[in-house]
Amino acid sequence: MIQMSFINPLSDEGKQTVREDGGDLSRIFDENTALIDIINSIKSQEISDDKYIPKNYVDLVIKRVEWYVNKKSDPEYNIKQYAFLFNPKITKFDVIAFYILCQAVGIKFGPNSRESRAIVEIEGQIIENRLEELSSSQRTEITRQIMNNLLIQDRIKWTSLADLISSKKINLQDLVLKEGYVILDLEDFMEYFGNEIEHRQPEKMYNLFIGNRIKELIIIKMIMQNTENYIKRVHEKAGREIEPNSTLLKIADEVSEVLSKEMRYYGGGSGGGNIKASPLNVDMLPPCIKTALKGIKSGGRNEVIVLFLTPFLSYARLYPSVFSKNTSLKVSDIDSDLKITKNEILPMIHDAADRCNPPLFDDQPQEKVNINAKLGFGMHDKLNPQHEGKTTWYTPMSCEKVKMNMPGLCKPDDLCKGIGNPLSYYTRKMRKK
Amino acid sequence: MEMFKPATLKERKIYYKEEWNIKQVPDFIEESIENREFGFDHFGRGPNDRYKVFTEPDYLKRFMKSKTPFAAYCSVAYYEKPRKRDGWMKSELVFDVDAKDIPVRTCSCSNVCEICLDQAKEIVSRLIDTIKGDLSLKDIHLVYSGRGYHIRVLDKDVMKMDSDVRSQVLKYLVGADVPKDRYDDGEVIYRLEHFSIPFGYPEVFTERIKYAVLHLTEDSKLDDVNKKLLKDVLKYRKLLEDDEWGSFKKEIGPIRYKKVVSSIASLNMGLVDAKVTIDLKRILRLPSSLHSKVSMRCTEVKNIETFDPFEDAVPKFVRERKE
Repeated sequence: MIQMSFINPLSDEGKQTVREDGGDLSRIFDENTALIDIINSIKSQEISDDKYIPKNYVDLVIKRVEWYVNKKSDPEYNIKQYAFLFNPKITKFDVIAFYILCQAVGIKFGPNSRESRAIVEIEGQIIENRLEELSSSQRTEITRQIMNNLLIQDRIKWTSLADLISSKKINLQDLVLKEGYVILDLEDFMEYFGNEIEHRQPEKMYNLFIGNRIKELIIIKMIMQNTENYIKRVHEKAGREIEPNSTLLKIADEVSEVLSKEMRYYGGGSGGGNIKASPLNVDMLPPCIKTALKGIKSGGRNEVIVLFLTPFLSYARLYPSVFSKNTSLKVSDIDSDLKITKNEILPMIHDAADRCNPPLFDDQPQEKVNINAKLGFGMHDKLNPQHEGKTTWYTPMSCEKVKMNMPGLCKPDDLCKGIGNPLSYYTRKMRKK
Repeated sequence: MEMFKPATLKERKIYYKEEWNIKQVPDFIEESIENREFGFDHFGRGPNDRYKVFTEPDYLKRFMKSKTPFAAYCSVAYYEKPRKRDGWMKSELVFDVDAKDIPVRTCSCSNVCEICLDQAKEIVSRLIDTIKGDLSLKDIHLVYSGRGYHIRVLDKDVMKMDSDVRSQVLKYLVGADVPKDRYDDGEVIYRLEHFSIPFGYPEVFTERIKYAVLHLTEDSKLDDVNKKLLKDVLKYRKLLEDDEWGSFKKEIGPIRYKKVVSSIASLNMGLVDAKVTIDLKRILRLPSSLHSKVSMRCTEVKNIETFDPFEDAVPKFVRERKE
């Protein structure tokens, strides 16, 4: 049976594990043979090099962070090196590592730091991956148990799920809402809707509508929130102490060092990802961009040219991997002398503007300045490196926003299915080329 | 009384000097006046006098009385430095229902008239019901804009939400997506039509489709719905008054029913101006100011049931106009 603390270290069971361990920080650097034996016994674990095996609690803390960083940004990342993280056998050790990690970061950096945000994110991703590794019945059962446990403490408002909705992990329309609360519990469902449902068994409807996926996402979100709250409490408590624990401070520095590796993987826009900066291939452009390039014959010319086409063409040409890299760059980071921007990108944008009816710049010449602003060069009529940074280099608009702002432009083809941004369409097609 | 005629410069001056009062600016704006950006249109060519800030209501009063603007706006956003639109703090969640843009109108006027303004009020009322019910949001203010309504939500739980969440809220409220009709319990796939689900989004969607079908006219234009199909919808729509959805679908035919529903779902996006909802830095007409294009007062609606724009939003100078 899967222990609840494998998914939720903040559960009563998890807290009990910590109490039983005694919380002696002097032992956490000691070699832990029980831990090493368990990891060696995991079949899918890569053990060809000693460095893949955490030897003590602190190693385990660092491995959690290292997994997150490498998975995100190391092209050589190999899941087998971290298989132990997703195996329930390590539960007891993992719970202790979780608390050490939160305490170290909470004491040293506080709840609003980059490190704390990363720790909360790591916890969410670890839980998600652990659930995926379980069998279907184990997954349903543990989700049910944790959900029941968490719901005793709290009902969930839909507004608390804003980031899951924003990231499209949850669609608001898939939630069953009543008076602002998300209905997750069978009893609540029966109380509110049992009498309304005709010709079908209400219990069946509950199972169909309050799906496991939604429950999983919500428990992950709740545990992440509880992790954040825990870090905050640790920080507040540490503030009342005269001298923070030096062992934990040292671990916090190590965590910070591993996290900063993530930034080093990023860098120049032309490298790193699968798709590098290269001349635009018009055959690979999504249908909406092809339409925009032909010029707009009705209303909304400036929005299409300035807000839609300008960011798309500039990113597609210079920094197509912006979304996978997740790092902001300036145009000149890639196009240092701005030759590509001036000779390739701007002419395409201006040509599309001229093809509009009436030609955009005929009645709205100021839009040339706005185009420069959207490239990050401020409200100036010439691209001047000295002005760069006065405005933000706009990232390409999502399909959702295109549909809302320029409904006539979106005529999806087969490849558009499952694509959230026209730039992803382009990069995906380029990758397939 | 000559309605909907643009206000002259003289009428604007009369309005701001004699009729307008700073106390008519709602409290929810006055309380946060120093964090909001104000914008003005002095010549009827759009709000190009922007980035204005008033640290006190008295300064706004002085400005309005002396400039008598063609139109006045203030931001839905709160800024630390509103003069630079810098340091965004939060934004109201806004739904803009413009009578002239209602996708299925029962009137055939070219601008706005009593019929479509009434329809806008009915739509707004339904949207507010869902905002208060399913979403349970508080601190909702309704403003008559002069040609429609602004629903302005100042609930602290939504004011920091980004555009993506706002867009999903909008789509939920208007019924912009056809709910899925296949549900899987891990063993069997069940087919359930939206109208057989009495809760959640499918219930909202069903209500919006019903409203649209009951307001269709022979002249309504629906994508993918030809004249014959529209005629059949009009013929059998009475069934929906009694919620006999199954019979309605049977009479129309399941494939044709799907076409009608999909088409209305995409039209529903036009019930509310999506651009306004997703724009975190939008400026909206200032309640109490004059909508000079139609000579109506933009005004906060205290009670939607009793509010009548032709009684409560007509400036005195319009009533005094000579025929």
